[in-house]
Amino acid sequence: MSKVHTLADAKREQRRAYWTLVLPGFLVYISVMAFPTVFSVILSLTDYNGGRLFGGKPVSFVGFKWYGRLFVDEYFYLALKNNLWIVLVSLFGQIPLGFFLAYVLHRGLVRNGDFFQTMIYLPTVISTVVIGILWKSFFAPYGAFPELMRLFIPSYEYGISSNPLLPVLFVILWMYTGMYMIIFIANLQKIDGSVIEAARIDGASEGQTLRYIILPALTGVLVVSAILAISGSLKSFDLIYVMTGGGPANRTTVLSIYMFDKAFKGAPNYPLANAISTVMVIISFSLIGLTKWVEHKFGGRE
Amino acid sequence: MNDIKDTKSVGARINTVLTYAVMIFFTVMAIYPLLWLVMNSFKTTTEFQMNKLGFPKEWVLVNYKDAWVRGKFPRLILNSFIYTGVTTVVTLVFSFMAGFAFAKIPNRATKYLHGSFVIGLLLTLQSIMVPLFLIINWVGLYNTFLGVLIPYIGIAMPMGIYLGTEFIKSIPDALVESARIDGATYLKIFISIIVPMAAPVAVTVAIMTVTGTWNEFMLINILTSSDALKSLPVGVQKFAGALSSDFGKQFAALVIGLVPMLVFYLSFRKEITKGVAAGAVKG
Repeated sequence: MSKVHTLADAKREQRRAYWTLVLPGFLVYISVMAFPTVFSVILSLTDYNGGRLFGGKPVSFVGFKWYGRLFVDEYFYLALKNNLWIVLVSLFGQIPLGFFLAYVLHRGLVRNGDFFQTMIYLPTVISTVVIGILWKSFFAPYGAFPELMRLFIPSYEYGISSNPLLPVLFVILWMYTGMYMIIFIANLQKIDGSVIEAARIDGASEGQTLRYIILPALTGVLVVSAILAISGSLKSFDLIYVMTGGGPANRTTVLSIYMFDKAFKGAPNYPLANAISTVMVIISFSLIGLTKWVEHKFGGRE
Repeated sequence: MNDIKDTKSVGARINTVLTYAVMIFFTVMAIYPLLWLVMNSFKTTTEFQMNKLGFPKEWVLVNYKDAWVRGKFPRLILNSFIYTGVTTVVTLVFSFMAGFAFAKIPNRATKYLHGSFVIGLLLTLQSIMVPLFLIINWVGLYNTFLGVLIPYIGIAMPMGIYLGTEFIKSIPDALVESARIDGATYLKIFISIIVPMAAPVAVTVAIMTVTGTWNEFMLINILTSSDALKSLPVGVQKFAGALSSDFGKQFAALVIGLVPMLVFYLSFRKEITKGVAAGAVKG
């Protein structure tokens, strides 16, 4: 009680409180995410391949050797190409479809919208492992898909292996469209309904309302969705790992699977795996930067 | 007048029917595979091979009994609860503590620290998989609960920090300041003012953390080797490998893996969808 509180005391207490509150979370985050990311870049420039970092086999810097190795590997380009397909399906499949569903539900064009919304979103919450194995069995030669096709085309022969990436792309579309639907519904709800009503009374058609009122108001969330789609597409690992493991003959491989194989299958090559993950981070950030730039250049209404 | 109205309503009716047809199509697409799975989990493997699309002639429970025992599911489910529970609680506490400091205690470091978390939102798990595996090995946490929990918490932090900070910013400064003038410590303010007010957004963060952690299966595969530490998704995946020709058991295992999230979703679907929308409002 008799203690005199000076301004300096208060400042010190404030600083101490700040760091006490911030540090626990920050330390965990730094050691689990930030440091490993930087560390991965460093390891990709060395010849370190497991074992003790100090006192073991001496580690030396080898420059961009692993990147050179990477850029001449045909599987790298195959993985990159498959990743791009997934990005395309996300951008031009999930987002438009999600928007369409959200629009129908938000404008109240069907009754029991809540039921439809609940069911269409359902695949998104289920474990990727369950989804992956389920669809793998569904599309397998012994599964339901060939049978189902024969109901419509009696002469159907099992031929999905002609393009093994197609089922994967389909499942990605199936699994995540609901997420974009929810994002769009939430943002449609933020648009002032009276503006839309007024436009309709003034004689604007449903299409015009969409073009001139609703879409411009959604520029921001469209960009966010694009970013989510791009970074999500590069993350696509679990599903493909479970469904195809990258096979047959690496034809459904993506960068993350390619990296996983280098690090954890057979003789490990950690530096090469780290080079791949560095390339993934660079691609992801460049694409996001590009999206932001496009928004800045052509959107800019917000 | 009446005529015009009538033709319009015919057109509108066609539109409505089309819209319903499309919506029903998507709904069936979304849930048919799940219904197909549940249906087949009640068939014996022999029956499945002959009847892949129809209802089971006889609903049998033997698949579930076998899968439950063979898959060691009680242990796996308990582990999943431990991982998810601890991760969620610790993430909530840490991220709201830091969020409070970022939002209400002025400090020059905030710009950089908070910024580093926002970057974390964009980092992919795969880009840290290999270094994390190496680091966990060096510090001797390989194949331990802690070696799984710490990464899980770190991965959940960025979203928790982001949503927590945004929300606490919206709490009026005057509340904090007047409590300060009354002599309350920051800890007291945090517990008695911030925590009760932040409950709604805490639910959002909790739900996102629960979903993410419960479904995670790649890190735990890499960071542990012993069966006693694995989680439910890993157990389910086993049935796709060595036991994959025994379809009945495989389907039953998948349903066991499906049910917890399904129950969770149907109980909290309003909060879950709110959380998804909140998580996307960045950029």
